[in-house]
Amino acid sequence: MEEKIGVFICTGYGIAEALDIEALCKVATEEFKAPFCQTVDSCEGQGLESIIEDIKANHLEKVVIAGISARRYPDAAFPEGIIVEKFALREHVVWCQPPNEEDTQMLAEDYLRMYITKVQKMKVTVAFQSEEPIDKSILVVGGGITGITAALESARAGYDVRLVEKSDKLGGWLARQFKLVPTKPPYRELEKSDAPELIAEVEGNPRIQVYKSAVTSSIKGAPGLFDVTLTSTGNGRPAGDIVDKFRVGAIVQATGWQATEPRDTLPWGRLDDVVRNVDLEESILKHGRVIRPSDGKEVKSIAFIQCGGSRDKKHHSYCSSICCLTSLKQAMYLRDGAEDAKAYIFYEFIRTPGQYEDFYRRVQEDPGIFLTRSNVTNVVRDPDGSLIVTAADTMPGRNIEVKVDMVVLAAGMKPTAADGEAIRALKDARVTVEKGESEAQRKTAAEKVEELSQHEGTEILNLEYRQGPDLPALEYGFPDSHFICFPYESRRTGIYPAGCVRQPMDGIGSREDAAGAALKAIQCVEMTSRGEAVHPRSGDKSYPEFFLQRCTQCKRCTEECPFGVLNEDEKGTPLPNPTRCRRCGICLGACPERIVSFRDYSVDIIASMIKSIPIPDEFDEKPRVLALLCENDAFPALDVVGQHRLNINPFVRVIPVRCLGSVNVVWISEAVSAGYDGVILIGCKYGDDYQCHFITGSELADTRGENVRDKLQKMALENERVELHQLEIAEYERLPKIFDDFMKVIDKYGMNPFKGM
Amino acid sequence: MSVEATETAPLQEMQGAIAETVEPPPPEPIRIEPDLAFIRTLMKAGGDSLKQCMQCGTCSATCALSSDHEPFPRKEMAWASWGMKDVLLNDSDVWLCYQCNDCSTRCPRGARPGDVLAAVRQEWIGHHAVPRFLARWAHQPQSAILLLGIMTVLLGAALYLKDPIGRLLGFSEEMSSNIVFSYSSMMPRWLLNLFFLVLGVLAVLTVLRGVVRLWKSMKKTALQQEPVTPRKNLISSIGSAIKSILLHERFSLCTEARPRYWSHMMVFFGFLALTLVTLWVITAPYNPLIGGPFIYPLNFWNPWKLLANAGGVVLIAGCVLMLKDRMKNSEQTGVNNYSDWSLIGLLLAVVLTGFITEALHFVRLEPHRHLAYFVHLVFAGTLLLYMPYSKFAHIVYRTAAMICAERYNRTNEKQPGQIPT
Repeated sequence: MEEKIGVFICTGYGIAEALDIEALCKVATEEFKAPFCQTVDSCEGQGLESIIEDIKANHLEKVVIAGISARRYPDAAFPEGIIVEKFALREHVVWCQPPNEEDTQMLAEDYLRMYITKVQKMKVTVAFQSEEPIDKSILVVGGGITGITAALESARAGYDVRLVEKSDKLGGWLARQFKLVPTKPPYRELEKSDAPELIAEVEGNPRIQVYKSAVTSSIKGAPGLFDVTLTSTGNGRPAGDIVDKFRVGAIVQATGWQATEPRDTLPWGRLDDVVRNVDLEESILKHGRVIRPSDGKEVKSIAFIQCGGSRDKKHHSYCSSICCLTSLKQAMYLRDGAEDAKAYIFYEFIRTPGQYEDFYRRVQEDPGIFLTRSNVTNVVRDPDGSLIVTAADTMPGRNIEVKVDMVVLAAGMKPTAADGEAIRALKDARVTVEKGESEAQRKTAAEKVEELSQHEGTEILNLEYRQGPDLPALEYGFPDSHFICFPYESRRTGIYPAGCVRQPMDGIGSREDAAGAALKAIQCVEMTSRGEAVHPRSGDKSYPEFFLQRCTQCKRCTEECPFGVLNEDEKGTPLPNPTRCRRCGICLGACPERIVSFRDYSVDIIASMIKSIPIPDEFDEKPRVLALLCENDAFPALDVVGQHRLNINPFVRVIPVRCLGSVNVVWISEAVSAGYDGVILIGCKYGDDYQCHFITGSELADTRGENVRDKLQKMALENERVELHQLEIAEYERLPKIFDDFMKVIDKYGMNPFKGM
Repeated sequence: MSVEATETAPLQEMQGAIAETVEPPPPEPIRIEPDLAFIRTLMKAGGDSLKQCMQCGTCSATCALSSDHEPFPRKEMAWASWGMKDVLLNDSDVWLCYQCNDCSTRCPRGARPGDVLAAVRQEWIGHHAVPRFLARWAHQPQSAILLLGIMTVLLGAALYLKDPIGRLLGFSEEMSSNIVFSYSSMMPRWLLNLFFLVLGVLAVLTVLRGVVRLWKSMKKTALQQEPVTPRKNLISSIGSAIKSILLHERFSLCTEARPRYWSHMMVFFGFLALTLVTLWVITAPYNPLIGGPFIYPLNFWNPWKLLANAGGVVLIAGCVLMLKDRMKNSEQTGVNNYSDWSLIGLLLAVVLTGFITEALHFVRLEPHRHLAYFVHLVFAGTLLLYMPYSKFAHIVYRTAAMICAERYNRTNEKQPGQIPT
């Protein structure tokens, strides 16, 4: 049964002055036989209200609004169950084309054709409803300050929490500090640790179930449906004993950090009184004062050497962010009550960000604390038992030495995280070593095993995911997905790293992070329970459906999904977990059999849009270029181009895609077969500092270019007819030039010979 | 063999060339043992901000007087905050600083290098003075009475014992009887000259020790400079330094403490005028230019008397300006210490008592004019005797530092246009 389609054409914003509206209406009513087509003055405010009234009054089921950019409509403006597609006649046509030109009119009409075709093909989305009820409780892994705060925050928001701690005590590093760096103005006095109060609060909270001496030995399932098994670490009961089994909705990974080993050039472990900052903290917590490890005597002078384990390209090249504060604090321990004690702090840069600068100043004021930028060149033992630290390029001299009782190295942080993908790769390589088909294959696999052996037994979460048992590790081993744009997000939906496992941070940062991740987890269980997607397509109700009868078990979708949504059966058939899905459509782009589709986004829908427009023949001198623009940056950039009234080449037809990774090669071959002279793909930046909202999408589009070239070759067309560009929204000015340059390429190779075939 | 030799020779040459371009190895490390007591002393003496320094170098960059090589006061700030007493108290650069406080007002951390250097100079004076207790007394207000008392006793004793001393040394009233000297009955001329000659020699001997040390240290710093700049002739160095002092050239480069340029100029020239007149009067009996009897006190219209009166007025005006500036603009003038106040006060006291004596002399008020004269001499003696121990020592140390700076080219001032504002 044909659904009733309605078309609204907005005449405001100067649209009527630039286009032949009547001709446009005829496209809808005559060419597409749309039963309803009406012009409106505006698509905002009262205009929008009248559109909604008309939709209801005329029982329209599918609606196209040609007016302002889709991004300009309020959320949830339209009634449920009705398909509404909006396209930007204003931004993408009228504002960036000369008025009343033949080409401008053609552009407007083509967009109308494309969008009417789109709604014809679209089906109403029905949110995914799991057969089993969605669990809304939250698992927090790690009982340090981040884990405790995440648990408390979630519980306060009304969610049940399971808090798992590997050791036999809660509190983590917070409980292992003698005193804390000041956290509030005037940042002058060290503070008492609030760990005991927090631990008591967590343990007394009826919503929080605390497990100590336990680890997650298995996590199966997906957001809302995670089945967790906890086993004992061997404290109190036999190791490996199952402690509990339960279901949770989302997970906060707050596994924290470990102290790094100082760099080799420092004599840690070789000289007795050279210790790490964490060791000094432990000792002072035990003894209440600073004593020398070698003879237990009271220490009168300490040299602190900063960046002992950080900011060294050969070691840990990042800044661990708290070591400067820690050394300043520990210098205060030494000076407390000892008028003649001396603390030297040798640093390359002192980093006390934000208001901590006040604390730095307070420490600096102390006449017995000596700070200098420097390059520590040597630490040796003096015959009298003390240590001599030599440093070059210091403030007080080019080469100085000081005699001290003790040397403290500022060890850095490394995340307590495992690299899930590496563990999986190690497992795969092991299998190949045993069952590899050729000698060469087995040899390469053996090398791989050697290379990855450090990941052996590092599992923390033990996820039963096809792509590995833990979050993928990124730069420096932190499992964050994109710490600048999307804090707390990871590449596994429903699992949110927070605190120092995500990036080095102080106690305040960890508490904030914990609250943020708790909110993310809550958001996840709530949206999952409604069948909606989480970030970045928050609220999207569509989800991919797999027509598995035609699946060839090529595993492209299971391997390429950046979020590990798909598990596999033994044969390699994908086993979807819809609540893990972020709805990017990368599986859709990957599938050579075209078996993956969303109700509102599929190979067929886009292909039909592509084919819906008339292609002028070779002699009209009107080329056509298909531009597939990523919805996240490139497509909104086109809005900005319109707002700035920059001219766009009128021969380009733009179709937004969820992600360049969702572009199926079929669309490109369909376009060239239909007579388009070229196809241009514009997506987010990829590489180490990627901006792709779905992590690997735009990069995948590039690597899939090989398939595109094969297709073009078969059709005896030039490779140059397909281009891929990376663009961020701030670079909107580049967009017209990208199109113009591409047109020159098309001019060079001439019109597509398939036109009119 | 010969083939090898020809092959290796250029290689050695090359290695030699490379070695020359390689940075020289760092010098032998200096052992630093911070002197916490010294840090506290500096902090008490006006350098309380010294620990706020973060070594950004704004002070050295902004200082119009600092040299490009090893510029001050940044390094002094580092040494001060590390309690490097020995290094600081042998650092001659502290004497090239005028405490104009361009650096202090521009310091982004609120440290006041100008004041810290002033505190270091105060410690410098005390450190190099013998005996040190006099320096300690000179820097504490409660000892002022003691110092003045000592001088009063000394002068009183000299007057009381003038006859036995005269007999012992063979001086008699007759020696000066050819000069009309209205105070000679109270204070014979020979006694006056002898008393102040002894004070002057003592002061100079004391201060000379410090000057020698200062000179050595500056020479050492200057010779570390790469490339070593040729020395300047000593005579012409002195010439340049004196010219610079007379014109207040370096003072004029400071932008923050502009009023001090004028007040110091006035005090300086007033003092110079009075010093010249004093020397003229002392040397009068032996001066071949003066034919006939030398009548003292001089006639009011005598050019020397006019110069002295003018000098006195200018000096008082300069001191008043300084007091006003110090009270109103402490941001620019720096922390005001007892040593600053006491020097201005003492100068004022000397000149004012001089004027009072002069006035009483004109009205012939007896015996008040004698009493006033005595008081005047006590103040003048105090000024002279404590010169090596008080801020007044800068008159010697700074002059020496400036001559030395000229000789070893540590003056290359930045052009005022280059000073960041």
